[in-house]
Amino acid sequence: MDDVVIKVSGVSKKFSRNIKSLMKYGFYDISRNIIGFNVNSGNLRPEEFWSVDNVSFELKKGEILGLIGRNGSGKSTMLKMLNGIYLPDIGEIEIREKVGALIDVGAGFHNLLTGRENIYVNGAILGMKKKEIDKKFDEIVKFAEIEDFLDSPTRNYSSGMYVRLGFSIVVHSNPEILLIDELLAVGDIGFQAKCFDKIGELKKNGASIILVTHNMYKLKSAYPDRAILFNKGRIEFQGEVSKAIEQYNTSFNVAGSAATDIEKVINSTDEFHVSSIEFLPERDLNPGDTLTVKLDYESKIDLNDVEIDIKLNKGNRIYFQATNRCYDKIININKGKGFIEIRIHDIPINNFNSLLSIAIWKQKREGILFYFENKKITNQRVNSCSSENFLKVSFNAVNI
Amino acid sequence: MNDLLNRTYQKQIKIYQPNGNARLGFSIWKEMFTELTSSRELILRLFIRDISARYRQSILGIVWTFIMPLFTVGTFVYLNYSGVFKLGETSIPYPAYALLGLTIWQLFATGITSCTTSLSGAGNLITKINFAKESLVISSLAQTIFDFSIRVFLIAGVFAIYHIIPSWTIIFLPLTLLPLILLTLGLGFILSISNGIFRDTTNIVTVATTLLMFVTPVLYPAQTFEPIATFNRINPIGILVITARDLVIDGSLNHPNEFIYAAVFSMIIFFGGWRAFHISEPRMAERV
Repeated sequence: MDDVVIKVSGVSKKFSRNIKSLMKYGFYDISRNIIGFNVNSGNLRPEEFWSVDNVSFELKKGEILGLIGRNGSGKSTMLKMLNGIYLPDIGEIEIREKVGALIDVGAGFHNLLTGRENIYVNGAILGMKKKEIDKKFDEIVKFAEIEDFLDSPTRNYSSGMYVRLGFSIVVHSNPEILLIDELLAVGDIGFQAKCFDKIGELKKNGASIILVTHNMYKLKSAYPDRAILFNKGRIEFQGEVSKAIEQYNTSFNVAGSAATDIEKVINSTDEFHVSSIEFLPERDLNPGDTLTVKLDYESKIDLNDVEIDIKLNKGNRIYFQATNRCYDKIININKGKGFIEIRIHDIPINNFNSLLSIAIWKQKREGILFYFENKKITNQRVNSCSSENFLKVSFNAVNI
Repeated sequence: MNDLLNRTYQKQIKIYQPNGNARLGFSIWKEMFTELTSSRELILRLFIRDISARYRQSILGIVWTFIMPLFTVGTFVYLNYSGVFKLGETSIPYPAYALLGLTIWQLFATGITSCTTSLSGAGNLITKINFAKESLVISSLAQTIFDFSIRVFLIAGVFAIYHIIPSWTIIFLPLTLLPLILLTLGLGFILSISNGIFRDTTNIVTVATTLLMFVTPVLYPAQTFEPIATFNRINPIGILVITARDLVIDGSLNHPNEFIYAAVFSMIIFFGGWRAFHISEPRMAERV
């Protein structure tokens, strides 16, 4: 087939658990290779394990593929093999186009150098010529939104600026295949949306993309065409994204691992999709502040009288829960794009860490449209005290 | 973004498989040369990066390049004149003699040390980005060569103070330094890979270069007692350093046969080390 850009056939990769045996095997394998012998790497030696185990898949031109799985399931190792950093121990990987990879943000940055200098160094590491960087320079800076910090050393950059610059350089190096590992773990929602737009644009121009993530919500936002679920180095599922996510969630529950600190977002239907969530203010809350949660959505159908359920948890108990019905507010969502704004007014809580969850239900709670859990909300400690009373919440849906 | 559409697709198919880089024969050399020529710009960038970052948070900055050899030579000058050591007669005043020898020696010693740590010091660059890692080793050595070229001015100053006029054959100096640089790079390739796996390498290199410096007649004229004399006749590093120094002072190749032997030895180490580096690069990346 002509439109296959990556072909992975029966690939396995092993690692050693123990650093001393890692050194020993390293010496042995390298010595054999230098003398001109092949290393028969198909067998496990003591202390070794398969990090990636007999994996085969293909990536077609213009396709976005998501690699999902728990930590240590082999997805990042797979990505490094696709980039040629590691060679497989068994099997073969065939790459037919120019690869650009963002495996760790800012890996090539030198912290004493300025953003400007680092763009040139990082560009060169990614294989760009000086002329090419000169031409793209303004675009790179603009996309990364670092105009004001261009001449400060990158060690003064925030983690968000780091990601933005790293991502910007990679996408402007014009890769035909883009490999991205957990890129959007950092960076604010605004920039994430911009990244997804850029990914969409690259795809439109014929680039193929592989995304590695364990955040299902972000995976969905990037609209991949297909997903592969990794479990202990093997492919557990390959195919439709929603099915892969479903299976991922099931295997997560079976394993009994409660990811309390991880944002968990579920867009459960194809008709209604929340593409971004924004919280304002971004800082810690002061007592009396209003917290605004803005959900951007796209709906394929009209949804009348939806129910928005908000819940604040403090520790294990529910501190506050209410829906728009409590406030006699009827919310209708029209077909198309729009946003829902939820304002929690006059937050009176002191020194309070709480977890916010939001669910959007269909009329009469016939089904859940969207669910979002565990956004950590912190407010500042002050010396006055107040009682826990019913919070004033306003809801609003706007179609644009 | 239109570039992506307009670009004429050069289909360069890459295949990654076990033992990928390891093979005998000609194709590996072709691959190595292609990789080297296509990383010229990267090497230059890394070189500029390291040079400009090195003294950014320093007051004396580049002056340090002068302070270090002056300090070492100063110590030996003191020991020599105070009579603690008897270093023997030199054809030109001792400070100029020692500074010249030491500077050429440092080209090897500092070069080998910075090559050795070039990969392990690059940290996540190695494990997170795929690029020609030779560039890191070469650009580290380029830094040392840069230091050397600056120190040439220091030597010129000291020669001027003592009214020493070097022989016209000094124009051949780069030719005698070339084998020394290639030998350093070849060893640097091997040792950087070794250091990626065994961190002991750095320590061994430090100890070995210090020991070698005192055995090699760098800071004193050649000695005749055994077994040092024999060792110095076969040690290619010593031969190359001494040849370069004598060329400046005496204006002649005092030991042409030994020089040819050392130059051939350098070429073998250089090409062998480079090939070994190229082959073991991906295995090293898993372990660094």
